[in-house]
Amino acid sequence: MTFLIPLIIVLPLFVGLGIFLAGKKGDALVATAVGTAALVFLLSLLLVGQVYTASVPDAASGATIQPRLAYAPDWLQVHLPVSVGGHQVRWQLEFGADGIGALLVLLTGIVGLVTMSLATIQIKERLPQYLALMLISQSMLMGVFLSMDLLSFYLFFEAVLLPLVLLINGWGNRAEALNASRKFLLYTLVGSVPMVLGLIGLALLSATPDRASSVSFETLSSLARETQLAAISSASSDSASAIGALASKEQWIVWLLLLGFGIKLAILPLHTWLPTTYSVAHPNTTALIASVVAKLGVFGIIRIVVPLTPIALSTYAQMLFGGLGALAIVYGALVALSQTDLRKVLAYSSLSHVGFITLGLMSMNTEGLTGAAIQMFNHGIITCGMFLMLAMVEQRRGQLSLAEQDRGLASVYPKLAVLMVFFTLAGAGLPGLNGFVGEVLAMTGMLRLSGFFTGIAVLGTVLGAWYGLRIVQRLLFGSDGASHSKGSVGVTGDIQANEFLPLVAMAAVCLFIGLRPQDTIQLIEKDIARIANVSEPSAKAIHPEMDGLVAQTKP
Amino acid sequence: MDTLETLKSSLALMAPAITLILGGSVVMAASLVLKPGNARDVHGQRTGVAIVSLAILALAAMMELWRTIPSELGQGLFRFDQTALASERLALLGGLILILMSWSTAPKANLGEYYGCLLIIIGAIPVVGASNDLVSLFLGLELISIPTYIMLGISKGDNAGSEATIKYFLLSAFASGFFLLGISYLYGFAGSTNLQVIQSSYASGGRLISFAVVLVMCGLAFRITAVPFHFYAPDVFEGTSLTLAGIMSYLPKVAGFVALIRVLGTGLGAEATAVVVPVLFVCSAITMLVGNFMASAQSSLRRLLAYSSVAHTGYLLLALTALLRQNAEPNVLFSYLAAYAAMTLGFFACLGEIEAAGGKTQLVGDLSGMFYRRPAASIGMTVCLISLIGLPLTAGFWAKFLVFMGTVAAGTKDPWSIAMAVLMAFNAVVAAGYYWRVLGKLFEKSDAYVPLRVFRPSLFVAYTICVVLTLVWFFVPAVM
Repeated sequence: MTFLIPLIIVLPLFVGLGIFLAGKKGDALVATAVGTAALVFLLSLLLVGQVYTASVPDAASGATIQPRLAYAPDWLQVHLPVSVGGHQVRWQLEFGADGIGALLVLLTGIVGLVTMSLATIQIKERLPQYLALMLISQSMLMGVFLSMDLLSFYLFFEAVLLPLVLLINGWGNRAEALNASRKFLLYTLVGSVPMVLGLIGLALLSATPDRASSVSFETLSSLARETQLAAISSASSDSASAIGALASKEQWIVWLLLLGFGIKLAILPLHTWLPTTYSVAHPNTTALIASVVAKLGVFGIIRIVVPLTPIALSTYAQMLFGGLGALAIVYGALVALSQTDLRKVLAYSSLSHVGFITLGLMSMNTEGLTGAAIQMFNHGIITCGMFLMLAMVEQRRGQLSLAEQDRGLASVYPKLAVLMVFFTLAGAGLPGLNGFVGEVLAMTGMLRLSGFFTGIAVLGTVLGAWYGLRIVQRLLFGSDGASHSKGSVGVTGDIQANEFLPLVAMAAVCLFIGLRPQDTIQLIEKDIARIANVSEPSAKAIHPEMDGLVAQTKP
Repeated sequence: MDTLETLKSSLALMAPAITLILGGSVVMAASLVLKPGNARDVHGQRTGVAIVSLAILALAAMMELWRTIPSELGQGLFRFDQTALASERLALLGGLILILMSWSTAPKANLGEYYGCLLIIIGAIPVVGASNDLVSLFLGLELISIPTYIMLGISKGDNAGSEATIKYFLLSAFASGFFLLGISYLYGFAGSTNLQVIQSSYASGGRLISFAVVLVMCGLAFRITAVPFHFYAPDVFEGTSLTLAGIMSYLPKVAGFVALIRVLGTGLGAEATAVVVPVLFVCSAITMLVGNFMASAQSSLRRLLAYSSVAHTGYLLLALTALLRQNAEPNVLFSYLAAYAAMTLGFFACLGEIEAAGGKTQLVGDLSGMFYRRPAASIGMTVCLISLIGLPLTAGFWAKFLVFMGTVAAGTKDPWSIAMAVLMAFNAVVAAGYYWRVLGKLFEKSDAYVPLRVFRPSLFVAYTICVVLTLVWFFVPAVM
């Protein structure tokens, strides 16, 4: 059933383009858009089901990245008038899904359906255009997660910018939208344009006089596996020099890739686009950006940097990025504590949570990578829920601040309050909910490498609970809240069933993953194991002190 | 085969160029008849001359389709390889858009001269492209320069126009001097004006070849507006009509790069490459940086576009280094130029339509809220600007991507190439900043907007072609 993969990408794209060009008003257009989103959600469920049941080759051999469903027709070939090592460049584009990709496709499907169905209640002007752009962004995001080669990965990675900039600019705060979208565009381009050089470099390094260059992840990762493992296992005397030579050869590639993905990930000194964008865009748009688009950086690292250049990554950037991730956890939490604008609080809390994912990634071992992968999904669901609730409250109360006048919402909107407490606790990492699973795994992974960074991260979880409970305390309780209804947009009562149901469904997902994480982990564990087969020895070869704690406790 | 024989046989193959140049001369001669009388019908003459010019262009295009290229390319005055064919197509493409743009903007008093010069310039580009001899190459280049002086002179009667003309004329003559000095060295070294003989002697030549090649590049740098020969560009763009600014940003650039490819051939010898490539690196880096940073600082839209044109030259020069080191085919440059034609000329055509409808386009601020006044042209400009930034779904993406590819391919052995590619990447981001400034202005909201309602079909068709090509060429990475 390979048609599933192109369908998931093409269906929202064409419907979105059609609606965008079709016209200004019309309930039929809105219904079509939401219907398409529902269909895409069903398709992504089907895809996950197929990936779940597909037979998985043994993790110990073969390429590091292996799609379980593949779609690579011959006509998807690119011929370029450039030659490398005497070969004209002919690249076969491939699409496919492995466990990690499928998990994120599901996330995109869920978030797309929920944000679009709630947008029909929240967005008042140019609704069909809004939904059309959301569908186009969804299609591009699906494209990133389903691409199995560098070129189509980059094409979708870059193309998703356009609809997002239009969404931020067209439906954000009037006064700041233009500057915010400019900042978002330029920041992302600063990373992604140089990044393309790194991707080209990866593709071209694979060319030798008797082998043409390739962009396929499968080919590249099996080559990378050979070269990296050969460098590690070559005789111990010259092993260090072989590793060093390989690392310095790939150094520039790794830096360029990390610059690109780091900006999308909002790694610490490169994060300033994030609060601006999140606080200016409509919260419904932010729900999509924070939950899925912010994962593009993580996904890029787990799909490209870790499997293809583990030695160079480990040599130059592993500890640096791990440290920055740990710092981001604490920094984001502290800033979130000090903000009063609720949009900014959520933006910085998101920054803090992505720090955990970075930490897991940079541990480069099975536990950490599993934690990072599953936390991508979890954080996506939780953040999406938080921003959607923010949108609902803002619709009733105007722009929110945690200062005095917005207290006591629980007595006015009891259902919303229950859900808000639930999602806050999930975000804070309460055991039994999904946030806990990812954070614990990520920290376990990092503990094998560095107790210090893990310690900082643990401090971050405490702060995370603090600012989460501060939201609950300030916003929901403390007064009867009845007298302060300012700037409401026509809606005053508690949330309706059509707002309630999507959130409850997402809460159920949180609870399910929190209680039975093994079902979700089963989807990704073979893929993670294959990556860890390469990345763990690399990290160990560069950082011999790894697993120091384990060694000491052995008899 | 003696020279006369090859000249005769190549005449048939040169039919498109000859059609254009002869047609241009006829149109120019017709200006004697078109001369002012009180009763003359300006509107009718405008349409008539434009249609005749389009017909000549169509005839040339048909000539191109009808002729058959012999498999044996020969050693004669002209050589019909891929470079020749690509330059012909680039000229015809640009010619179509530019004549459509001129339809309603050409100077009323000098219609015959204007279209005659334009057709001769378009016809001269294939002459440059097919040249296999220094003499015919120089002939082609001057066939472009001299009509350009006339066009600049007649297009606007005011002081700024005269200043632009004089500046362009003096600097162009100066650059031709450099070019002649360079080719005289080449002739002195190889003992022949035939470019293939000269190219086969590159391998044996050392310093002298590099010196001559650098001189030739100086001469051509003027035409492609490379720094430090770019000074005329902002003044000329500001001082002439929009259509002519479009012409100046595209046609001389094509001619200059085609001539460079012709002279450099498939590559210099190892020793000369080692000298010329660093020179090109420095030139390209300075051109990009000056172009982009000066453009960022402009509030005048025309000057911004002039510097943006300079910046694109910088990227193209980088592609040239990949060409010299045999990592890229000339196609990389031609595809870039084709994409550049679609996006830049499309942008100029949109501006032209706004100006024809009564809007102002001198400053970036003049475009404020243009989307609500003139939606079609604004959407056209949006697509062109996205392509100029180089985002996917437009031709501009592949243009930049191929330059990156070529440079990185050479860079697997040479860290300087990687550094240049990274520099270009950051320049592209700086460029995105000022293109976005223009883009943001288009959609700026305000209350008092007067819609511009005058409709110019020719300009509309011109930018529609450009926009469609920009979008369609995304699916064809190497168009030429």
